[in-house]
Amino acid sequence: MNEYEAKKMLKRYGINVPRGELIEDLSQLKSLDLSYPLVAKVASENILHKTDVGGVILGISDGEELRSSVEKLMNKFKAPVLVEEMLKGEIEAIIGVLRDPSFGHAIMFGLGGIFTEIFKDVTFRVIPINRKDAESMLEDIKGRKILEGYRGIRVDRESLIDLLLKVSKFVERNPQIEGMDLNPVLLMEDGYAVLDAKIIIKR
Amino acid sequence: MFERLLNPESIAVIGASSNPKKIGYVVLENLKNNGYRGMVYPVNPKGGEILGFRVYPSIENVPEERIDLSIITLPAELTVDIIEDVAKKSRFIIPIAGGFGELGDEGKEREMKLLEAARRYGARIIGPNTVGIYVPSTGVNTALVVPERSRFPKDGDIAFITQSGALGLLTMDSVTMYDVGFSAFINLGNRVDVSENELLEYFGNENKSKVVILYIESFRDGREFMRIAREVSMKKPIVVLKAGRTARGGRAASLHTGALGGSDAVADGAFKQCGVIRAYDEVELVDYARALAYGKPIKGDRIAVVTSAGGVGVVTTDYVESEVRGIGMKMAELSKETKRKLREEVVPFASVENPVDMTAQASDEDYDGVLAALNDDPNVDAILVYALFQTPLISEKLVDIITKWHREGDKPLVVGTIGSDFALEMMRRFERNRVPVYPTIERSVKAVRVLRERAKILEYMEGS
Repeated sequence: MNEYEAKKMLKRYGINVPRGELIEDLSQLKSLDLSYPLVAKVASENILHKTDVGGVILGISDGEELRSSVEKLMNKFKAPVLVEEMLKGEIEAIIGVLRDPSFGHAIMFGLGGIFTEIFKDVTFRVIPINRKDAESMLEDIKGRKILEGYRGIRVDRESLIDLLLKVSKFVERNPQIEGMDLNPVLLMEDGYAVLDAKIIIKR
Repeated sequence: MFERLLNPESIAVIGASSNPKKIGYVVLENLKNNGYRGMVYPVNPKGGEILGFRVYPSIENVPEERIDLSIITLPAELTVDIIEDVAKKSRFIIPIAGGFGELGDEGKEREMKLLEAARRYGARIIGPNTVGIYVPSTGVNTALVVPERSRFPKDGDIAFITQSGALGLLTMDSVTMYDVGFSAFINLGNRVDVSENELLEYFGNENKSKVVILYIESFRDGREFMRIAREVSMKKPIVVLKAGRTARGGRAASLHTGALGGSDAVADGAFKQCGVIRAYDEVELVDYARALAYGKPIKGDRIAVVTSAGGVGVVTTDYVESEVRGIGMKMAELSKETKRKLREEVVPFASVENPVDMTAQASDEDYDGVLAALNDDPNVDAILVYALFQTPLISEKLVDIITKWHREGDKPLVVGTIGSDFALEMMRRFERNRVPVYPTIERSVKAVRVLRERAKILEYMEGS
């Protein structure tokens, strides 16, 4: 499942993703109703790590730049391109799902960047989770102070808890899911947005 | 459903031997020496007599319609050969031998033969590849150890389910020195049939065990374990020593989540959801079990510490509050009334802040007065009291005084006793009185933390 399809599925469960459109033909750009700055990303299920292969172009500020960016990605990857509004925020989280051999589906939460990459500061719960589980996941991680507000940066804890519960519900309703990465999830003062999503379905 | 396993009226030993070095002899010896009161039927084609028991040439000759427990002490191949006959006549079967699933496909086939025979006749199997069971109250003991070099614990409150037989036996041996008691010990072995889940459910519903502890390397069915643990932990505490923490699970490794999620990280989250307290080694496993079996849950973070040695109070304060190896709780701010009582009536010579340091001048009666005052203090959620027997005005009576406050007081109480032979003897007395007692500062403080965790688990369970 490519990023566009994954996000469409998430949206159906009330999970917030940036406004965007899948461009399969350059002619679509004329009628595009999105606010700059924009991001263009190759949308192919064969490319899991888009950034590594140059499949993402950030900070597109006008129509001309958009056209050349989309054209470039299409030519390079021979695949459609997802164009989205670019959101701003300081704090990123990762929310994931895996299928554990003994416990089945489990949901993971951690802060983005070095917190997960270097410190592996993440916590798991078995799906389904309840509200208390979601709250305690936020308390579990070593970087929890960041979620409580730091250097004047505030995070909408309530919406984050709501997101964890929605992901849990989403997996419960779609047991064919083998794994999932919502990474990064942008945490804002008011709400959140899933900036990138990978979903792997059992064949 | 496991009553007949733990309290069998009849036991057959298939492969009974007159050679004292063989398991087929040791099991009989154990049954004879541990006060087992039921019928014992050694089975060996040679017949005759072993240890005064008449030997039957085959299980068919045993004059019972159905034997409660048949222990097979034969090698794997022979076990498979006679399983049909044994299953026909037994409620529970413990095949001791290794040489099954742990050896690969051929062994797995043998296991299947055991299971099929058992299913056919409605018998249940513990093992194979197991040291079996030990039940102090009924004298059933199938474990092969050298009696002169190890001890088995007495009867008590702790039910112990273990995937590793040897680690389980070593754990029990090591705590007999404190006189810790167990209600039952069961080694799952290769758990071809009976698993940790059914046993956990059984011990959860039975009244004798106050706490269930498990040593587990892999769960038979994690979801089922969670379901049962959730029910059991509302009634009694569960402590799990889950080993294999570094093994990586998660097959979708192309995702970040897969790479970050070892099966252990998932198990850790699962434990939090089903009220399981986690231990990280065999010492913690039994320490926590004793705290939970004897102590009361601690409903707040404020700890009062009583000591006659200032340094012990300082180190304890660090363990309670420090971010480095601390337990994340708080030293209680004693109420004005408590301080007044302590200063004016009880221990005018002492420091009446928390930790309450009574100095080497402390007597048994001083301890009594301090515990009485702290027990009335609304600012105190639990008391950690060090019973230090090295000073002249302290006597053995202190054990009774502290036991009284443990039993009659409202506040949860944990005891630390530091020292050598005499302290160890006092520890045993506390243990026999079912007071949670520990031989070091760190272990005492960790027991406090576990009782706090237990209260949080009950809160979590009530709301969900």
